[in-house]
Amino acid sequence: MPGLRTLAVVAGAALLARRALRRRIQDSPLWPMPALTEPTSGRPRSRALRLPVTAHEKVADGVVLLRLEGHDLPRWEPGAHLDLVLPSGLVRQYSLCGDPEDTSSYTVAVRLVEDGRGGSREVHEQVCEGLELEVRGPRNRFPLVEAPAYVFVAGGIGITPVLPMLRALPEGTDWRLLYGGRSRASMPFLEELAKLDAGRGRVRVVAEDEDGRPDLDALFAAAPKDAAVYCCGPEGLMAAVAERVPDVRLERFAPSTSTRGNGAFELELRRSGRVLTVPADSTVLAAVRAELPDTLYSCEQGFCGTCQQRVLEGEVEHRDELLTDAERDDSMLICVSRARGARLVLDM
Amino acid sequence: MSNKQARVPLPVTGERVALKARKVSFSWEETPLHWVPGDPFATHTMNVLHLLLPAGERWFVHVYRQILPYIRDDRLREDVLGFIGQEAVHSQAHDEVLPHLREQGLDPTPYTAQVDWFFEKLLGDRTLPPGRARRWWLMERVALIAAIEHYTAFLGDWILNARELDRRGADPTMLDLLRWHGAEEVEHRSVAFDLFMHVDGSYRRRARTWALAFTTLVFLWQRGIRFFLANDPTLLEGKGSFRDFYVRGRRGVLPSTGAMLRSIPRYLSREYHPSQEGSTEQAVAYLASSPAALAALAAEKGAK
Repeated sequence: MPGLRTLAVVAGAALLARRALRRRIQDSPLWPMPALTEPTSGRPRSRALRLPVTAHEKVADGVVLLRLEGHDLPRWEPGAHLDLVLPSGLVRQYSLCGDPEDTSSYTVAVRLVEDGRGGSREVHEQVCEGLELEVRGPRNRFPLVEAPAYVFVAGGIGITPVLPMLRALPEGTDWRLLYGGRSRASMPFLEELAKLDAGRGRVRVVAEDEDGRPDLDALFAAAPKDAAVYCCGPEGLMAAVAERVPDVRLERFAPSTSTRGNGAFELELRRSGRVLTVPADSTVLAAVRAELPDTLYSCEQGFCGTCQQRVLEGEVEHRDELLTDAERDDSMLICVSRARGARLVLDM
Repeated sequence: MSNKQARVPLPVTGERVALKARKVSFSWEETPLHWVPGDPFATHTMNVLHLLLPAGERWFVHVYRQILPYIRDDRLREDVLGFIGQEAVHSQAHDEVLPHLREQGLDPTPYTAQVDWFFEKLLGDRTLPPGRARRWWLMERVALIAAIEHYTAFLGDWILNARELDRRGADPTMLDLLRWHGAEEVEHRSVAFDLFMHVDGSYRRRARTWALAFTTLVFLWQRGIRFFLANDPTLLEGKGSFRDFYVRGRRGVLPSTGAMLRSIPRYLSREYHPSQEGSTEQAVAYLASSPAALAALAAEKGAK
């Protein structure tokens, strides 16, 4: 049994400590726990914004221009796109086609796809001025690199990411643009392009109903060999360009959210020393799980981030909606994303 | 000790559902600073969740990544994978509230930087020799998560039934975030405990880690409330006391002190199983009507 005196001393000390602490806590409620110098919480990867639609106008047959206004909006680089969350909950990506310096509005142009998945129809028919839309991004999967010369090939609404690029190129840059479409009436921004061209013949507009198919061979024959080639348009056009210029930079209209397609590719798991093939109708995750059953994953739709893996070699076609551009440089979500080329090396 | 054999956790049948993460998103522009109207204390008590959960749930995922090779039951593994996805999305969703608080003049960074330190450094991976020591630290953390999940399920069940908040006109978006989260916590309440019982299951560890988790939660929570009240730009006298908590518990805008105390012996009972608490049916019913969960479902269908 401890003596009465010991108990009194302990109780007194406790009381004193409590009084001392209480004042400290009142002065600064956070005293004295250590903190991380670079905190991770409170910095969400992508912030959703709700912006009102301030313009919804027809700029060509079947094409509407949407302007969303806000203040102090995140900046973007030419080639960037925005995720729009439509009233029904559908999420669609549209290339920004306004002025990157303008931090008070975002502009996108949307073509109505008759037999599409419903996103463009909703933009055309349900969205109107005054409605608020949720946006995420902007993100850039189609960045403008520095090059001695540029060749742009745009098909139809594929002109949207190219337009801010042309505006951003410094005066005197060697560039040329081939802009194809079904008919002149269905091709937006023709006037704007004529102004950018300034009568120097750098823009060639090919409307199918007047001039037939664009002559890609002639375009590349005339272009400098070291030019950077950018292409955005329908699948057929992009395939034709990729056939002639293997290192072309492509931007797909609808970054296909389907996880299948794109063909088979080889996958090396360097840490475990295995090489496998990912078939066209399967995912990286499924192929890896067959070899390494303890591989982590969860949502299988590219939003929870559990299956993120480090990429050592190979180019990735990112199909998730979570990773930041910096994370995309060296990692991927293996449940939805695939190889862009024929081979991919993961640190697994 | 003669009846020791019979005293084992008893799961309630029919309370198990397949777990999957839902891709929700919320917009905070319309949410006022005091989203329980006229009650900064209750608001900030619940706001502490946004301070603890982003780092805490990231830590859950981090620990569970390492436990996967120890699981030898396919059904449990599936549950754990679903659990990880749900927790990852919870952490992202609460993370998105913090910039909104900052915009309203209440910068949470000093506190969250400490919580980040707490989960990432103090409870993070230590440089331990592989083998027993490393395994011990992993099991200790798995048991801690089971104890914390007892409280997240308790709070989830509470918020699903907190009708008083609706009566007082609390912000619908914030209520939807908390109830969607609460419903998923109720939905997956058994996973952490089942996992702990599967890989370790020692009663002494369960009791010890409960005591640690409980004191830590009380400590961090009261600190968070004090921090918010002291830094709220709209409050002149930013102070709170236990009495404030007790009174609001009686009114029904916060969990009642009595219910919290009664949940302690339940967790410490040898027959405890999380499926005995809360109702999966209610959680699933809420998820079927939650605006955020419905939007997530529509987006998922749209993507296909």
